Amino acid sequence: MPGCNAPIADDILLDYWVRDVTDSDETDPIEEHLFACGDCSARLHQITSLGAGLAALVRLGRVKGILSRSLLNRLQRDGVHVRLYSLSPGETVPCAVFPGDDLVVTALRADFSAADAVTLSVMGPGGSSIGMVDDVPVSRVDGEVLWALPAAIVRQMPSMRLQITLVSAGDTRAELGTYALDHTASPA
Amino acid sequence: MIDSTDGDLARAVAARAPGSAEAETELYRRFAPRVRLYGLRHLHDEETARDLVQQVLLLTIEKLRDGLVRDTDRIASFILGVSRTMAKDLKRLEWRREKLREPFMASFLTEVPAADATLDVDRLERCLARLAERERVVVLLTFYAERTAGEVGKELGVTEGNVRVIRHRAIAHLRTCITSREVMP
Repeated sequence: MPGCNAPIADDILLDYWVRDVTDSDETDPIEEHLFACGDCSARLHQITSLGAGLAALVRLGRVKGILSRSLLNRLQRDGVHVRLYSLSPGETVPCAVFPGDDLVVTALRADFSAADAVTLSVMGPGGSSIGMVDDVPVSRVDGEVLWALPAAIVRQMPSMRLQITLVSAGDTRAELGTYALDHTASPA
Repeated sequence: MIDSTDGDLARAVAARAPGSAEAETELYRRFAPRVRLYGLRHLHDEETARDLVQQVLLLTIEKLRDGLVRDTDRIASFILGVSRTMAKDLKRLEWRREKLREPFMASFLTEVPAADATLDVDRLERCLARLAERERVVVLLTFYAERTAGEVGKELGVTEGNVRVIRHRAIAHLRTCITSREVMP
């Protein structure tokens, strides 16, 4: 088989695959090329496999970090068992993970009217740093940041208090809220 | 066969000469993944896409055998045309699967390629965790929630163009991470 003389760029393949390109004037030449070119169709296959793998991971609750509200809603609709804790600034909430839980999500409410992004930091006993997440995109409309951990990870955690702080990103670094989770370890 | 052009394969099938069965198999091996991707893109369902592969390539081979494909050098365009027509039919009509499939079933038609079975999901999980938050949210909204760049942009308060840039960068990072030989904890 001859190689490809005019490969389609990866970003165009990606736009085509996720339906950001839908006009037939644009999609028809892409499809003509993909059917005639094994190299480009193989690259598209790699992208789609990656996408399918990502979707599979999420369905298994194997995702950690920041979620959007629409992602959370979709997960719940798809039957992923989500344990959700919602906290306002200054609030302390007892938390645990239960049998059957797939994902633990902490909803941190705050006033994001002056922030485009925030930094989320998590401290353990004695002020030890457990983790920090930078440049977290925030929705001013929703007024919350959703922080997710797979239940499998939370099940390994001992009983302890987790202190979470949200600080606006950028030069101002204004504190937007501190929150505490009193975590009870899962029975061995 | 593996070095033959698509046109060579189509002509070998049409000739019904010794070796045409091998040409059919190679034609199928070559085009099945392309038709499957087309089916997934337009029909949004793995099983239906696999059905499309079988129907499209079965019809293609029948037309070649019957000498009804005029320009064998443009066999790829022919297969795309059949894919378009059949995908439209699939959207409109009940799929009479068994009735169409059974009389002509050849052994290689059952081996429709699936999604990449070699993808290491555990490694992908660790690679995903290495992405910047914004990149991770964008790829999850794209591939799991199936949102367009415009929809993701609205949700995250960034432009559609910016979403595309972030998405492209994230996928590039993931592909590099997945294929690297680096040992990950």
